[in-house]
Amino acid sequence: MTPSLADRTWNACFSALQLDRFLAREMTEGEAERLRVHVAGCARCTAVLEELRIASEERLPPLRVVPLAPRSRTLFPAAVAAAVGLAAAASLLLVVRPSTRLKGTGFALSMYVDHRGEVRRAGPGETVAPGDAVRFAVSAPVNAYVAVLSLDPMGRGSIYFPAGGRAEPVQAGDEVPLPLGTRLDETVGEERIVGLLCASAVELEPLRLQLEQGGPTIPEGCQVTRWSFVKR
Amino acid sequence: MTLDGAAIERLYRSHGHVVLRRARALLGSEPDAQEALQEVFASLLRAPQSLRNAASVVGWLYQATTHFCLNLLRHQRTGARLLQARIAPAPAPGCRGEALAELRSVLSRLPAEVAAAAVYHHMDGMTHDEVAALLGCSRRKVGYLLERVQQSLARLERSA
Repeated sequence: MTPSLADRTWNACFSALQLDRFLAREMTEGEAERLRVHVAGCARCTAVLEELRIASEERLPPLRVVPLAPRSRTLFPAAVAAAVGLAAAASLLLVVRPSTRLKGTGFALSMYVDHRGEVRRAGPGETVAPGDAVRFAVSAPVNAYVAVLSLDPMGRGSIYFPAGGRAEPVQAGDEVPLPLGTRLDETVGEERIVGLLCASAVELEPLRLQLEQGGPTIPEGCQVTRWSFVKR
Repeated sequence: MTLDGAAIERLYRSHGHVVLRRARALLGSEPDAQEALQEVFASLLRAPQSLRNAASVVGWLYQATTHFCLNLLRHQRTGARLLQARIAPAPAPGCRGEALAELRSVLSRLPAEVAAAAVYHHMDGMTHDEVAALLGCSRRKVGYLLERVQQSLARLERSA
C-alpha cells in the first residue's frame, strides 16, 4: 500500500463530502460555482457527480422510528376521532382496549395514531392502517421507568419503546407522551402490546425473548398492561 | 435550525441517501447498511441538539454514519474473516472496489480516530483540511493519524 490509497479508492478531484454538499445545496454560491466550473471540464468528476445524483434519487424505506407532532387538542377532538374511526377501511388495524388503567396504581397507557398527518387518540374500536405511526403516552402518579413491547402476528417480539435496551424514566403526569413513536408495518393478523411501568430500569431483551415464548414473566417492581390489536 | 420530529423526518427523506450510500461502502452488507440508515436518524430523534450546532448537515451525517459503521465493524468480533465475506459485490459510486475492500479489511483493527481518518481520506477522498474539520483536530494530527493507517496496512501486507 500505497503512497496514495486515496488515489486508488476515490475517483474524483473533489471529495465525496464536497460533492454531497454541492448536491444538498449547502455550499456558498462561490464554492458551488468553482465546483461547477471544474466539473464542466473534468470527465471523472462529471461521472462521479452523476453517480451520486442517481444514488440520491433512491427511494428510501420508511423511517422505522418516527416522531409524531406534539399532541394538539385541535387535531383530534373526540368527534373527529370517532368519525375517522368509523370511516376506516377494512384493511386497517383494530385496537382493542386501547388504554388500560392498572387497578390501584393510577398508571395508564394510551396510544395516539398518526394517519397521513392527522393525529388522533386511539379509542375502543379504533382502526389504524399499516404504515401509520403510533405513539404511546403514560399517565403515572409518580416517576417511573417505562417500556412498550409488542408481539407481531408472526410471533416476533420487538421493543416499541425505548430505543435502548432498558426501560427509560418517564416523569409523573397525565398522558405524558413517550419521546419516540413507531411506524406500523404491513404484517396482517393479531398483534399484542405489553406496556411495562417499573420502579427500575429493567433490561428488556430477556423480556422480548420471553414474549416470543408466551411470556413475559413480569419483573419484580413492575406493573403490566396488555393490549390486543387485530388486523382485518 | 428548528429540529422537531417532522423536520428530522424531512431530513431523512432529503439526505438519507448519503447515509445509506456510505454505510453500504463501509459495511459491504445491505442489511447492515439499512440498519445504519435507521440508527443514524434514530439517534438524531433521540438527541436533535447534536445537529443544532453543526456547521454542515451533510458533514454531521458523515460523522454519524462513520461512527456507527466503525462501531459495528469493531463489534463484529469475527473480524477480518467476516469483513472479507461481507465485501459488497459492487463498489460504491465514485469508489474503486478493490482498493475499497483493502481499506475495509483493516478498519475494525484500527483505533476509532485512526479508522475515521482513514475512511474520510481514503474512501471519501477528503483533503487533510477537510478531515481535520470533521474530526475537530489539526492538520498535523490528521497527518499523524493517516501515517498510522499506512503503517497498519504495511504490517498487514507483510503478514499476508
